[in-house]
Amino acid sequence: MIVINPNGEQQALMPLNVGPSHPATHGCLRYMAAMDGETIVACETEIGYLHRGFEKMAERGTWQQVLPYTDRLNYCSAIMNNIAYCRAVEEMLGVEIPERTKVIRVIVNELSRMADHCICVAAAAQDLGSTTGFFYLFDSREKTMVIWEKLTGARLTNSYSRIGGLYRDLYNGFEEDVLDVCNTAERNLKDVHACFDRNRIFLDRTTNVGVISPERAISYGWTGPCLRATGVASDLRKDEPYYDYETYDWNVVVGTKGDVYDRLMVRLAEIEESIKIVRQALKRLKPGPIDIVDPRIRVPAHALAYQDMEALIGRFRSVYEGIRVPKGEHYCGSETANGELGFTLISDGSGKPWRIKVRPPCLTQFAAYQELVEGSMLADSMATLSSINIIAGELDR
Amino acid sequence: MTALAEKANIITSSLDFIVNWGRKNSLWPFPYGTACCAIEFMSTETARYDLSRIGSEYVRFTPRQSDVLLVAGTITYKQAPILKRIYEQMAEPRWVIAMGACASSGGFYDAYCTVPGIDHIIPVDVYIGGCPPRPESFFDAMFQLQEKIQDESYMKARAERVKEQLEMIKAKTAECKENAEKAVKNAVSCGVQTIKEGRDNLMKKVAFWKE
Amino acid sequence: MADCEKLLAILEEKFGAKRDLADKWGFTVLVERENLHALMLFLRDDQSAKFDVLLDIVGVDYLGFKDYEGPRFAVEYVLKTMKAPVRRMRVKVLVSETDCKVPSIADLYAIANWQEREVFDQYGVVFEGHPDLRRLLNHAEFEGHPLRKDYPAHKRQWLSTNDYLLPELEARLESKGYKIVARSKEVMPNDDEYLEGSRKV
Repeated sequence: MIVINPNGEQQALMPLNVGPSHPATHGCLRYMAAMDGETIVACETEIGYLHRGFEKMAERGTWQQVLPYTDRLNYCSAIMNNIAYCRAVEEMLGVEIPERTKVIRVIVNELSRMADHCICVAAAAQDLGSTTGFFYLFDSREKTMVIWEKLTGARLTNSYSRIGGLYRDLYNGFEEDVLDVCNTAERNLKDVHACFDRNRIFLDRTTNVGVISPERAISYGWTGPCLRATGVASDLRKDEPYYDYETYDWNVVVGTKGDVYDRLMVRLAEIEESIKIVRQALKRLKPGPIDIVDPRIRVPAHALAYQDMEALIGRFRSVYEGIRVPKGEHYCGSETANGELGFTLISDGSGKPWRIKVRPPCLTQFAAYQELVEGSMLADSMATLSSINIIAGELDR
Repeated sequence: MTALAEKANIITSSLDFIVNWGRKNSLWPFPYGTACCAIEFMSTETARYDLSRIGSEYVRFTPRQSDVLLVAGTITYKQAPILKRIYEQMAEPRWVIAMGACASSGGFYDAYCTVPGIDHIIPVDVYIGGCPPRPESFFDAMFQLQEKIQDESYMKARAERVKEQLEMIKAKTAECKENAEKAVKNAVSCGVQTIKEGRDNLMKKVAFWKE
Repeated sequence: MADCEKLLAILEEKFGAKRDLADKWGFTVLVERENLHALMLFLRDDQSAKFDVLLDIVGVDYLGFKDYEGPRFAVEYVLKTMKAPVRRMRVKVLVSETDCKVPSIADLYAIANWQEREVFDQYGVVFEGHPDLRRLLNHAEFEGHPLRKDYPAHKRQWLSTNDYLLPELEARLESKGYKIVARSKEVMPNDDEYLEGSRKV
């Protein structure tokens, strides 16, 4: 297309369509860019290619039946979504979960955060052409997968958490496995840093690319590692602590500039912090119950159902009628790997949710994408895209 | 041994066997990954499972250079025209694997926006169950696809194609002949008419001059 | 909580806001839609409030809600502060079915642009003054608003062809001070085809 630019000169621009089937757009993003040579002048984004109706589906089942759907929001760290959802419902019910469950939830939370950051940085490395970094990071991730397999039976979409407890207790030898993963991850991190830290190509492609100012990021509602990369120390685990996160010894990682390099490095540093938390939490594990004792909320154990009439009724009612969450509206946000994952829950007092709205952290980051890439090169837009870690399942729901 | 090797070696085999052997051991996938299954496909590629053991390490992101379309993830109505177009851009021979419950049947997303199985849009060779399927089941699907390719007959397909072409040529020739005959008939009738007209004119002229 | 009471008193006096009792766990105010824009501006900029993050905009359909009387739709704004003890609040506007309009706040928060588009897409609530109100998640040929309670979950709608996105790109260029002189021919086969896939005017 031929345009007249603000200086009054005539210019020929080329509209270029990128995605949705493009290796760097993770399957489901599309943007149209007006190119002046290699430079993007204007960019228009479109989403919705993976809109699969989470919110409509959630209205059809009971409160527990929403759990598997939450797995598929951010499928790189499924357990965190379960926990965020369960926490929101538990706040509405006004129940306090046992101490052991809190510690286990912290451990699996941080392990999934680690896996999620691994996948984000690995994909970014792959998009930038570094296959070595990809393989190093996937190694520690695969080890986490083995733990999930032993613990829950599934590799990716686990559904481990339950409202008022957990699906099952830890298996024997869990501690050793987790420590092994921590050691592997630390070793791999060293290798990854050796790949990236003084790598001229990596530095040239990531520093001062896709910069955003903290004010603009806040106006776009950014949260999580992407906001921390701009220098704002905002982490819900510190600001609004839940599950005793404030009692662990760890630091909030912040960046300085808010470019691609900062975003990736913040993630790598957060893996180290997560390992710290996991190691401390393992020491706090004490034997005890994992479920709350209330047949109206947490289903009684299967073995009990054959001996106890109350337990049988409890199981029956919770499957057929669902948990009765008190009537009202509530918003609860938790810090997940990508930022604040919030659930707005509206209950009419029956066993089914009236409305569940997810507040996805990705949406806010991708809404700012056109501002991030305008004025930069086409190849830089790919680096920017992989650094803001768009997970389509969460973006489009 | 060296003496043997220096001699001309001949292996007798059927053409089908050799073509299929080549095809099945270098299946280049096109990962049309949209959702969770794509992450599991990434795991399949990496060191622990290592897809390159069966000759599929070369993941191609262009439909022109790939053999297997690997649909990993939910396909929505917004995505459907794109998937169809990608499939149409692939060169023959091409195969399709529907990875996971969503691609096979829509999965548990039974809603206004998801396509209930990609077989509503494109033909599928192998379905994989699971949400998402484990890398092992993905390997199983690849082996099944290999078996399927082994049974395919390049020569038969070629014969059918040639047959079709022959029929087409026959039909074309017949049509051409018919057209030519018509044209000749037209020309002849035209000629006859002109002669007739000429004779009539001549007769008129003769009659005029007689008078 | 004392903080909330103080803020509520100010909001009540200035904008006629009321506390919403449906939210028993947090702090929600109900406001008339005429005062919404001024209230959000106050909440964002005033030193006593300083709610500088808009987390989410939620549309709700109350059709058939137990023991509920009032307008059918509601739009809720979820806000939080950035400063250390994080405070949260929600602002709720009730919208009737016949007059389904809410003033847009896209000029206050950058993210409101997309979130309002999403609510429009899913519920059909029109945001007045929005720069580019079109569907966000569903495709261009979709008819109806899927998250309304009277939209059947199984009603599927096929899409014939994808959006060209060119008019939107041109609008974006124009907003940056460029002026389009001629459209390129190779991506513009003809007018009929072009209009078919893109948004209907």
